Amino acid sequence: MQLTHLINHKTLNMTKRKTVQWLLWILLIGLIAAFSAIYFAFNMPRRNLANENSVYLLSAKQLISDFRNDETIATKKYLDKAITVTGEIKSIRNLDNHSIVFSLEDAMEGVSCTIDSADIVTYASKLVHYKTGSRGTFKGRCSGMLMDIQVINCVPVQGN
Amino acid sequence: MNKLILYFVFSLIVFNVQAQNRFFTKDAKINFNSSTSVEDIVAESNQATTLIDIDKNEIAFSVLTTSFKFRRALMEEHFNENYMESVKFPKAKFNGKIISPIEWKSEKVVLVDVKGVLTMHGVSNEIILKAQIIPGKNKILAITEFKVIPEAFGISIPSAVRDKIAKEVTIKIDAAYTPYQP
Repeated sequence: MQLTHLINHKTLNMTKRKTVQWLLWILLIGLIAAFSAIYFAFNMPRRNLANENSVYLLSAKQLISDFRNDETIATKKYLDKAITVTGEIKSIRNLDNHSIVFSLEDAMEGVSCTIDSADIVTYASKLVHYKTGSRGTFKGRCSGMLMDIQVINCVPVQGN
Repeated sequence: MNKLILYFVFSLIVFNVQAQNRFFTKDAKINFNSSTSVEDIVAESNQATTLIDIDKNEIAFSVLTTSFKFRRALMEEHFNENYMESVKFPKAKFNGKIISPIEWKSEKVVLVDVKGVLTMHGVSNEIILKAQIIPGKNKILAITEFKVIPEAFGISIPSAVRDKIAKEVTIKIDAAYTPYQP
C-alpha cells in the first residue's frame, strides 16, 4: 500500500517536471523565433529588382502618355511597382552619388532610369551597350513623375 | 515669306532670352536627418527637381518621396507606408520667393531669406528659410538647411517610437542649377 503510494507520488512529480520542461522549451523556441523575426525585419534585404518579375512591361512612350493623361491614375497604377520600360536613350548623366541616369525618349520630360552606384560594376558589361541614340530596356521601380517619370533601382535588361 | 522668316528669327531670340532667365536641375541633393541618441535616421535623394527664375526671384522645388534612400530597408518601408503615405502623397514641394536683395550678376556668395509654402503629406505650411546662393552666368549654386516638425504636416508618429525620432527633422538641400533649355 505504502509502496504504491510512493510510486504514484514519484510519477506525479515526474509528469509535473516534464510539463515544466516542455513549457520551458516552448518558451525558449518562442523567444528565439520572436528575436529572429525582429532581427530579420530590422535587417531585411532591399528589394532586388533583378529577382522580381515586372508587373508591367511597356514602352517608355506608353508610360509617358499614361502619366501625361492622368498623373493621379498613373501614379496609383505604377508607383512602387516593378516595371520594364524600353525606349531610345536621349541622355546619360552621372550623378554626384555615382549612380547613372538614362533618360528615355526625352532628356527633359521622358523616363529617367537610375542605376544605383552599387550595381554599376555588376552590370558594367551590359551598360557599355547603352549609348545615346540606341534603344535601352530597364527593369526598375517606378517612383512617380516630376518633370520626368522616375524609375529607380534599375537593372539593364538588354542592350540592343 | 521674308516676313515669316523674320518672325521666326524674332521668336527664336525672344525664346532664348526667356530661357536664360530660368535655371534648373533634376539632380538636386536633398537629405534629412531625424537622428536621436537611440537611432540614426538619415535619408538622401539625388533626384529632386528645382527651378530658379532670376527675373521673378522665384524658386520651385519638388522631390518624389519614394526616391529617398535610408540605411535600412525597413526604415524606407516605414517612411513611405506609415509616415509619408507615399501612394497617396507621392511628392514633397516647395514654392517660394527670395525676399532679400540679390544681384544675379555678381557671382558673389549671398545669404538670402526665401519665403514660401512647403507641401508634404498633403499639408501645406508657410516657411521662411535661409539659403546660401552663388550666382553665375552658366551655373547657380544653392544650399539651404532648415527644420520641420513632422506633426505640423499631419504626420503622426506612434508614442512607442516617438523617442527614437527627432522632434525636429533637419532638411539639407544642395543644388547646382544650369540654364533651362526646354
